[in-house]
Amino acid sequence: MRYPHLFSPLTLNKLTLRNRIVSTAHAEVYAEPGGLPGERYIRYYEEKAKGGLGLAICGGSSPVSINSPQSWWKSVNLSTDKIIEPLSNLAEAMHKHGAKIMIQATHMGRRSAYYGEHWPHLVTPSGVREPVHRGNAKTIEYEEIRRIIKDFALAAKRVQDAGMDGIEISAAHQHLIDQFWSPRSNFRTDDFGGSLINRMRFGVEVLSAVREAVGADFCVGMRMCGDEFHEDGLDHETLKEIAQYMSETGLIDFISVVGSGADTHNTIANCMPPMALPPEPFVHLAAGIKSVIKIPLMHAQSIRDATQAERILENGWVDLVGMTRSHLADPHIVTKIRDGREDEIKQCVGANYCIDRQYLGQDVLCIQNAATSREATMPHIIAKSSGPKRKVVVIGAGPAGLEAARVAAERGHDVVLFERNSSVGGQVNLASKVPQREQMAGIIRWFDMETKRLGIDRRFGVDADVAMILAEKPDIVVLATGGSSHIHQVPAWGVAEGLAVSSWDILSEKVAPGKNVLIYDSMSTHAGFGTADFIASRGNNVELVTPDVKVADDVGGTTFPIFYRRLYSLGIIPTPNYWLDRVYAEGDKKIAVIRNEYTDEIEERAVDQVVIENGTTPNDTLYWALKEQSVNHGQTDIDTLFASQPQPALSMPLKADEFLLYRVGDCISMHNIHGAIYDALRLCKDF
Amino acid sequence: MQMLNYTGFNYSVTALFWLASAALTIGLWRRTQLWRAGQPAAFLWLNLLAIPKRYFVDLHHVVSREPYIARTHVATAGGAVATLALVAVNYGLMMYSAALNWAILSATTIMLGGVFFIWLRRRNAPARLSRGAWSRLPYTLAAFAIGLLIISLPVPIISGSVALLALLLLLAGSAELALGIGLGGPMKHAIAGLLHLAFHPRQERFSGKLSTALKPLMLENGQYGVSKPSDFKWNQLLGFDACVQCGKCEAACPAFAAGQPLNPKKLIQDLVIGLSNDEKSGATDASFAGSPYPGVAVGDHSGSIHAPIIPLLIPAETLWSCTTCRACVQECPMLIEHVDAIVDMRRNLTLTQGSAPGKAPQTLENLRETSTVGGYDRNARYHWAVDLDVKTIQKNSPVDILLVAGEGAFDMRYQRSLRALVKLLKAANLDFAIMGALERDTGDTARRLGDEATFQMLAKQNIETFNSLTFKRIVTADPHVMHSLKNEYPAFGGHYQVLHHTTLLAELVSSGQLKLEKSTETRKLTYHDPCYLGRYNGETEAPRTLLKSIGLQINEMERSGLRGRCCGGGGGAPLTDIPGKQRIPDIRIQDARSIDAELVAVACPQCTSMLEGVVGKRPDVLDIAELLASALDQNVEPAR
Repeated sequence: MRYPHLFSPLTLNKLTLRNRIVSTAHAEVYAEPGGLPGERYIRYYEEKAKGGLGLAICGGSSPVSINSPQSWWKSVNLSTDKIIEPLSNLAEAMHKHGAKIMIQATHMGRRSAYYGEHWPHLVTPSGVREPVHRGNAKTIEYEEIRRIIKDFALAAKRVQDAGMDGIEISAAHQHLIDQFWSPRSNFRTDDFGGSLINRMRFGVEVLSAVREAVGADFCVGMRMCGDEFHEDGLDHETLKEIAQYMSETGLIDFISVVGSGADTHNTIANCMPPMALPPEPFVHLAAGIKSVIKIPLMHAQSIRDATQAERILENGWVDLVGMTRSHLADPHIVTKIRDGREDEIKQCVGANYCIDRQYLGQDVLCIQNAATSREATMPHIIAKSSGPKRKVVVIGAGPAGLEAARVAAERGHDVVLFERNSSVGGQVNLASKVPQREQMAGIIRWFDMETKRLGIDRRFGVDADVAMILAEKPDIVVLATGGSSHIHQVPAWGVAEGLAVSSWDILSEKVAPGKNVLIYDSMSTHAGFGTADFIASRGNNVELVTPDVKVADDVGGTTFPIFYRRLYSLGIIPTPNYWLDRVYAEGDKKIAVIRNEYTDEIEERAVDQVVIENGTTPNDTLYWALKEQSVNHGQTDIDTLFASQPQPALSMPLKADEFLLYRVGDCISMHNIHGAIYDALRLCKDF
Repeated sequence: MQMLNYTGFNYSVTALFWLASAALTIGLWRRTQLWRAGQPAAFLWLNLLAIPKRYFVDLHHVVSREPYIARTHVATAGGAVATLALVAVNYGLMMYSAALNWAILSATTIMLGGVFFIWLRRRNAPARLSRGAWSRLPYTLAAFAIGLLIISLPVPIISGSVALLALLLLLAGSAELALGIGLGGPMKHAIAGLLHLAFHPRQERFSGKLSTALKPLMLENGQYGVSKPSDFKWNQLLGFDACVQCGKCEAACPAFAAGQPLNPKKLIQDLVIGLSNDEKSGATDASFAGSPYPGVAVGDHSGSIHAPIIPLLIPAETLWSCTTCRACVQECPMLIEHVDAIVDMRRNLTLTQGSAPGKAPQTLENLRETSTVGGYDRNARYHWAVDLDVKTIQKNSPVDILLVAGEGAFDMRYQRSLRALVKLLKAANLDFAIMGALERDTGDTARRLGDEATFQMLAKQNIETFNSLTFKRIVTADPHVMHSLKNEYPAFGGHYQVLHHTTLLAELVSSGQLKLEKSTETRKLTYHDPCYLGRYNGETEAPRTLLKSIGLQINEMERSGLRGRCCGGGGGAPLTDIPGKQRIPDIRIQDARSIDAELVAVACPQCTSMLEGVVGKRPDVLDIAELLASALDQNVEPAR
């Protein structure tokens, strides 16, 4: 028996889960205005149900009260009866495929922002501001406590009435319940503050009210933190006491544990551990809590692999494994594990594109799977075409070209994939050279294996020209030739004169890092800081200069803290708000002339090496050479593309020697990995 | 030249006839004494009357699969029997009629024709045929026929020397015929073969029914299987003696093909050595003139009637190589029951020595302690069905169909087949329930491994469980489960209507209760018959009908249907895991590859796992239930 623990059913209260794999609650940012799940929301979860998971808990941080704003993250709004119908649609969709569905309910307290929606005065036990969300809040009063407890009960009843399978009350990530628990945020001297029993009072009363509302047989769980990692916060031993107390109340049927507090930028990065952290970094906290409770325990945080999950269960550390980002990357992960197709799993690499978007209030998307949350228009399983079998020639095996080749091959076409380098991957190969970001290569590993499995004719080390492409007698040519480092944009940078090199030169190890290095990063993406880290990790001095407001400004809320941990520990000097005007040589030194954005003050730096990260410029030579020969003049019809419809030109009959020409990814203009893959999927799914 | 004294000549033929008859009788008596060293078995003189029908129908049914040798045998044996009968009348009764001589002449001519074709085949004999004494047979038979032919010639052309020659030829031929039985020559097959037809240990075989269930051991009477030749039933010994060493079993044996140390023909011949020698005459296998057990030298083994067979006469590995696929039994023109013999000997090794090799002892312990082959928690057997909304059978709650999943239910691969089956049963709106934690292993593997005690324990426990439940039919996707429940449980008082899932599904499709669309499968498909479904239960059509019903064309492999080649998974062979030159499933996949099949449809969890265990590029393996489920209207039932 493979995975005997993973596929062992578990009963929570009266609810039997078919396996131990859970998609834990996360903010999706998909709800329709007013906080109601619509088609997109339901299909996103239904895909996971189709994919075989045991339980999904949706609606991370779904507020139960109107003074806990839901609109910032388009959360599900449990404070209204209008929620019952959409939730019942969701429940029905999940049950159709044998999966169970719960929702997380919470009151965020101070963990929000007042400036919007109803402009509420946020509430928190002692009126202490929350740093991450700039959550100014008032001290909560008894009347408000009573109202919010009642709101929890009403919300739970709505969830039950909708036919959902259970409810998870959040006392994690410093929501209102654990704002009461935590000595960081509770300085009260009344019945709700002081002793631990007093600090737990609010939570116990919430759970009592919820239990009373839903009755004994409905599944109620609680999510909590395993250690806040703050000197003045809740430590693991205290949280064990809380967990034991809560479990012994008999009010809850399971406890879900996450490691780390979340009310500072640095701790928040732990909550959805990025690739820089080791696998399952906080499972010991979950295991510690499991040792004191008698009800099942759930834990998520970088459990990305079937054998890893099986081992964690087998060791008895947890009872249910959360594989949440894993489901974003591949909602069919459970079926693939079950059916012995582990090699076909698109495995989460912890790039945190999903959560970094969420922190900006953007809808959650997966860096490597463009179909996730676009289930209405983008297929996770590419159906074979019933139309003509075509010869598709794809140039470039970066993410865009790989996805184009994969999708075209899944459609049943005859695919040739040309790549100039000796292996697949394109720019991702450079991205994975950065210290602690090696797992970026996992994105490519999957494409590599899939394009092999699909029998695509992959030709490496071939710099395809027009003649070679036409010799294939293609019906469709897809250019995915990517971009090149855009270092010639400003001639005064002196690249032509050898005064400056590119981040690509460094990461590809074409140029060895200098001793004293100035990196000019005009983009503030992962590449600039990654190059700085690459050089500094090798024992060199680095100053990172950017015109943006802070260095690595465009990498997202769970990634910049990781970068900053390294920035300070490696002694990289951050110099935001400066432009690089020019570079000149003086003796064996390069002099970088930088100019302050706000004062125009000029400064000079004498360094051994100037490295420039300025994004990419499209590789479009082939495009211009092929454009006029192609039937569609290289044009992608954006009306149909954006509407996820087939390209009109696909229905035109082609004569011999006629072909269609399309481009995807950075060879049009610089996008990111998700953008490249999405370009290819939406175009090629209808080939 | 002096003319022959005809009267004297006739007398000498008469004398020769009676001499030969006496030799035959004495030889037969001696041979029966050897058989009678075996254990008693039910015996009815009247059975002798059944011989002609069994010969001309049941035996001919097997022989006629090879028309060349069937016709040759009809001519040779028919001619010989007719000749002997005529000689008995004309010379034995001293009638010396010229007319009868004409008849003898015709009969010997026919016989000689047959002998000619035997000789012809012997010139380029297939490897499976034994040489040695069998190589002389065309010559001695020809001598007999030619001798009589000369004697029966109507014209007195015979000079003294020719007459002498004729007599000498006749003498030589008669010696083969008459002494064969007593001295254990090739011609003993005629007498032993006919008697074996009469007193066959599986009398049911002749009533048109399949007889594949192993016979229970009376453990309470101290029966622990066969340790020495005399532990076999006397009629089993008789059966071994009937072997003609044609090697059809050898050619069909998957273990032999894989280079494992088993050759069913050699096994039977070794047992013949055992039965025909006593301690004093104890003989070795040196005179065996056929293919050896692969990898085992000939001449090192010896045996006698009361000496332990294992390991002196037969290596233990030989027994443990068998997959119990019954291909040898299926092919044997003498209707010998090789598998029964092997299991009888395994029983002794397992029950008295506990010496089953490899993972077998662990498996048997698992079965005793957990009632599962793999040592699993029985509660886990139906975990795969948790989300399928299927009833689990309850006492006092009747259902039409009880689904018994078997050990395959613990295997995540086979769970796919089971899930597909459940989808189909639901689509057909059947009233069915799974057996849940009540299910114990049927004991099939224990029984094939010789652990009759564990098998009987499990059988009794299961029967007790079944009898406490109310259902009309049992359905299983595992032919091994089916065989146990349907064919072997009746001996212990468990009588159930048991169906293989393909049989039930074929029934549902033909009645219209299960509506399927055409399959979208385009790969070139073949169907692999599970031994325990085909040979053990005779079901070769339902799977094919089902595949055709969803528009799939079946490309048959060279060995299919009742003559299908084993996957290597039966009889506990994957557990005993006796090394060979290659693995049996590799051979079977090669069969599929050789017809360019891209997809092998199967109907058994063992076959699924054995064939999927073949490494490298190979055709995909899908259970028929999976293929059918993919032809369900997807809008009706969501995919799981």
